[in-house]
Amino acid sequence: MSPTHDFHYRVGARVGGFRPGAHAGLAFGAGDDFVTHATLFARPDPRRIDLRASLRDPRGEWLVRLARQRSHIPVFALIDVSASMGFGTPTRKLDLAADFVAALGRAATAAGDPLSLSAFDDAERPELRLAPSRQPALVAQYAEQLRTAECRSAGHGGLIDALAPLAGRQAQVFLVSDFHRHDAELDTALDLLGRARVTPIVIWSPSETEPPAGDGLLRLRDLENGRLRELWLRPELRRRWRSAVAERRRALDLRFQARGIRAFYMSDPFVGDALTRHFLEGA
Amino acid sequence: MITEVDFLRPAWLALMPLAILPLWARSTEAIAYPDVGWLPEDRLGRLIGLALRVLSALAIAAVVLALAAPGRPQSMALRTGRGAEVLLLIDRSRSMDERMLPSDWRELSPYDIRHQTESRGPVKSQAARKLLGEFVARRPDDRFAVSFFSASTLHVVPFTQHDEVVQAGITAGGVHRGLSETDVGRALISSVARFENRAYTGSRIILLVSDGGARLDEDTRLAIRAGFERQRVALYWIYLKGFGRPDLEQAGEASEAIPEVALHRFFETLPTPYRAYQAESPEDLAAAVEDVGRQQNHPLDFEELIPRQDYSRHIIVTALLLVATLLAAGRWQLRSLR
Repeated sequence: MSPTHDFHYRVGARVGGFRPGAHAGLAFGAGDDFVTHATLFARPDPRRIDLRASLRDPRGEWLVRLARQRSHIPVFALIDVSASMGFGTPTRKLDLAADFVAALGRAATAAGDPLSLSAFDDAERPELRLAPSRQPALVAQYAEQLRTAECRSAGHGGLIDALAPLAGRQAQVFLVSDFHRHDAELDTALDLLGRARVTPIVIWSPSETEPPAGDGLLRLRDLENGRLRELWLRPELRRRWRSAVAERRRALDLRFQARGIRAFYMSDPFVGDALTRHFLEGA
Repeated sequence: MITEVDFLRPAWLALMPLAILPLWARSTEAIAYPDVGWLPEDRLGRLIGLALRVLSALAIAAVVLALAAPGRPQSMALRTGRGAEVLLLIDRSRSMDERMLPSDWRELSPYDIRHQTESRGPVKSQAARKLLGEFVARRPDDRFAVSFFSASTLHVVPFTQHDEVVQAGITAGGVHRGLSETDVGRALISSVARFENRAYTGSRIILLVSDGGARLDEDTRLAIRAGFERQRVALYWIYLKGFGRPDLEQAGEASEAIPEVALHRFFETLPTPYRAYQAESPEDLAAAVEDVGRQQNHPLDFEELIPRQDYSRHIIVTALLLVATLLAAGRWQLRSLR
């Protein structure tokens, strides 16, 4: 709830749709975004008559200024609540996701966009679904619900189901996950989101990216498949740990880059300004 | 040597499958992590982890095994010794608590001897026990039995090659004072009977240590003679001659009335070897014991009952060591990802 979580998103391309909003749109309408002139006959709107252009017109027609209006875009956030999101003490990664969702609710309200939320693990989680809404209170409530949600199921099979209402639509989509073991699903999902603008929010807890400081035997159990990994922690292994994390990040980046997507990496705590900057720098 | 193993409480072995648990358990003490797949492989860590799990499995197995109390079952072993089967038949009568002549008695004037003896001389039974103890200790190959007698016979130690038991038996003779009666006849009969039903595996000796004799009646004499003949037992009599006590070798018909001389003469009529040693001072006694030691030195075969040996103590120690190792290793285990 901290104000530092607040951010603003920006949609890079012009959005379709006629409903007014905050984003540069494609539809003609009331706006200051001049496109062209049309004859008064074609666009019978005498308020927009451009006298100077009409006088210059060789055919002597009355010309009207045409501008594009600013439109809204539906915003979706898909939140991964699989077992691996329950990792982290005292802040779970899902708590970070909740911080993000709460801030997103305020951002969407500020932009006037309807926000829908849904959560998935192995299947879609129907109890964690919010229909498109412009009410910030509902989103705040949803965020609180996320904080108490259980992360029990392994797998991300529900991602496709959660995406189904979005398929082929133009929207701003936030994919909130740690992107562990999303392989087949992720590609399918990105295919389905061909027209949408996708912003992956990659949540990695500092205690998973940074090896513990002490030397010794570290026994790790995978949260999702229960496999065991035993490491004798030492400086050399710590170096390999960090390089494995960097390698993973590079691979994920490459994968998104192939689709012209830039991921936002988020750690504890969530800094809204960083996300704003990400959108300002963004393509 | 039989090397089989038996269990006192084999039902506990049913818990043995518990030992697999550490090899199976995956989540014990492990810290949850979102995706171990992206961490580097560490062969060293895997080896250490595996070793710890094998150690825990072994520790559980050892505890279960110790609960089942394994051991080597009771068995018989054939042993070969050199030497004899010696039954120490020691007089426990009150007269044995008297003193012998002191070592330097030859230099004393005849008038002093009596007083000197009563004040300075070593106690007969003590000297005898000490020397017999040394005798037993010097002859590890012999098998000894120990009996004391006064009015009746006390068989203290059965035939055994375990020196410490024999020594303890000899020491036990020193507890408290003796009784007044001395019945050599009954003592000899019951001592000879102890050789009965034993395989004849080497020379047999009764070493009678006594300071007095007895007149034996005809029945007793017959029984003793028959017993010695049947069991082929040699008799050595160490006669602890006190001051003023009769000499065994006194000649003459009249000395037949003296019990010691009568006994000596009867022993001489026995069909088996007999020797008498008169010991007046500790030196004489030592010489006599020495002489007996020289007499008997033949190989001897015998079977020994080896009692059940319990191994569980060793196994518990092993289990403790394993658990201690695991506890020490636990110090090196990281408990959190911080």
